[in-house]
Amino acid sequence: MKNNTGKKMRVSVSTAQKKENFTGYAFVLPYLLGFLIFQGLPFFIAMVLGFTNARYISKLEEVEFIGLSNFIRMFQDTDTMKALGRTGMYTLMYVPLIMVCGFFIAYMVNKGIHLTKMVRSMFFLPYVSNMVAVAVVFKLLLGPGGPVVNLLLKMGMEEPPYLLYGLNTALPTVVCIAVWKGIGLNFITYLAALQNVSSDLLEAAQIDGATKWERIRHIIIPSVSPTTFFLLISSIITSLQNFTTIQALTGGGPGQATTVMSINIIRTAFSNYQTGYASAQALVMFLIVLVITLIQWRGQKKWVNY
Amino acid sequence: MNTKQKNNIMSWVWTAILIIIGIVCVYPFLFMLSSSFKVSGDVLSKPLQLIPDTITFSNFKDLFGDPYYDFGKWYMNTIVMTAVTIGLKVFVVSITAYAFSKINFKGRDAIFLVLLTTLMIPGDIMLIPRYIIFKQLHILDTMWSLALPATFDIYFVFMMRQAFIGIPDSISEAAKIDGCGHFIIYSRIILPLAKPSIVTMILFTFVWSWNDYMGPYIFISSLEKQMLSVGIKLFTEGTVTDPALQMAAATVVLIPVLVLFFFSQKYFVEGVNSSAVKG
Repeated sequence: MKNNTGKKMRVSVSTAQKKENFTGYAFVLPYLLGFLIFQGLPFFIAMVLGFTNARYISKLEEVEFIGLSNFIRMFQDTDTMKALGRTGMYTLMYVPLIMVCGFFIAYMVNKGIHLTKMVRSMFFLPYVSNMVAVAVVFKLLLGPGGPVVNLLLKMGMEEPPYLLYGLNTALPTVVCIAVWKGIGLNFITYLAALQNVSSDLLEAAQIDGATKWERIRHIIIPSVSPTTFFLLISSIITSLQNFTTIQALTGGGPGQATTVMSINIIRTAFSNYQTGYASAQALVMFLIVLVITLIQWRGQKKWVNY
Repeated sequence: MNTKQKNNIMSWVWTAILIIIGIVCVYPFLFMLSSSFKVSGDVLSKPLQLIPDTITFSNFKDLFGDPYYDFGKWYMNTIVMTAVTIGLKVFVVSITAYAFSKINFKGRDAIFLVLLTTLMIPGDIMLIPRYIIFKQLHILDTMWSLALPATFDIYFVFMMRQAFIGIPDSISEAAKIDGCGHFIIYSRIILPLAKPSIVTMILFTFVWSWNDYMGPYIFISSLEKQMLSVGIKLFTEGTVTDPALQMAAATVVLIPVLVLFFFSQKYFVEGVNSSAVKG
């Protein structure tokens, strides 16, 4: 029925439709052109550049295709493999921490009904703030003579560590600051989801004698599972795009302690001028994200309830 | 004690716990703000004192009067770049979203779908290619290398399209019958009706452009064209070791966003929710 009238309309008002087409294309043309130049073309180049020996960016005329050499080299390069390992560590710490904390803060805010707005802005504030400016503050807070070190001294610790500058403490500290910075998004998203959990269901469970923990486990967590799914994917992606956080806080140091892939790629490209090799590394990271997302997409049927 | 009273007490207990965690969360900001008005010696010796003994503005004076680094210039650069990005983006994104929601042109949905698939691509992998393209376009080391990629992102086209779809077609149909063209309908009817979504887009664009570090770090090379994010890093890691001055610099970078956030947090929260929960 709908199709029929559509066809009739198209025949009878074809000049109007032509005009409609023209206006439509005219409206989207500027965006499409810009999108092609600033998003589409870069993506295409990103797919190709990793297979070349490009160096120094400016000398593009001498570029040759070298097949998989960059990728083979990458997996034989111990520094890069270590950076990849650190990225894995970072993600393994960051994602569970931000997911669990984000959920529980949202859960508590949803329970404690007073001063919601004030509490909400307190947790969301770091999300909108400038990472580099915030890093300047944290470096002072955690550094020599800073309040954190003094606090630990007062608590009786003899040689309190400089958390951001220790070989073993730097990466976990950076993760904690990243979680602090990013938690607002997870928290607000979870809060909205929690407010939609059916109160009838919760009351029914309470009448049936379900404990608080049972209600969280069997009603609340399954009800917010689509949100969990969305946040899980976006948190993993965020955890891999950590260049600014790390560059601002530690610059990859001390030594190589926080040199993760994002830092390694930028260094390879813009300090060592190995453009092709850096692009190959970026491509591998992209594929890793893609594979993780696809696995989750396929696995979601088992635990996500829509 | 009845259940109602008990529940009320419990919710205050939860609130108190949250406020305590929240204060720990905002402590770095409080520390920064108060330190920026302190004399250097008091910054680390009295970290919990929020109101300084003597309030001094000399840190800010020193900051903008620094002989090596032109903080004021970076500030202006960042303001101009952010304003240009917002201006361009609001126009380009809204008119595109209008076409994708209110004009029935051929191939519309197919084009939109192709654009949407790029939503999942992390921006990081485009950095090196963009550098190459910007070099060819001769926009390296200009603010256009920051403003243009930010303008043509798909995220807000998607969000605005959702907002426009929410506006009933009957309104624009009526205007069409009265002889209005699409541009008039877009600018006089749809845009004013979608004001909350536009405000959300402006706020998020402001925050992202203002806070962007990676863009200026890679694409901007001259010191006098630099943006605040890179500037403050150069400043605090260069000659300046005075903690009060460092905190003044951080304050000056953060203040515009903090002020904006306090006056418009409703829009931020709605922005997060509309993008995250609905899809």
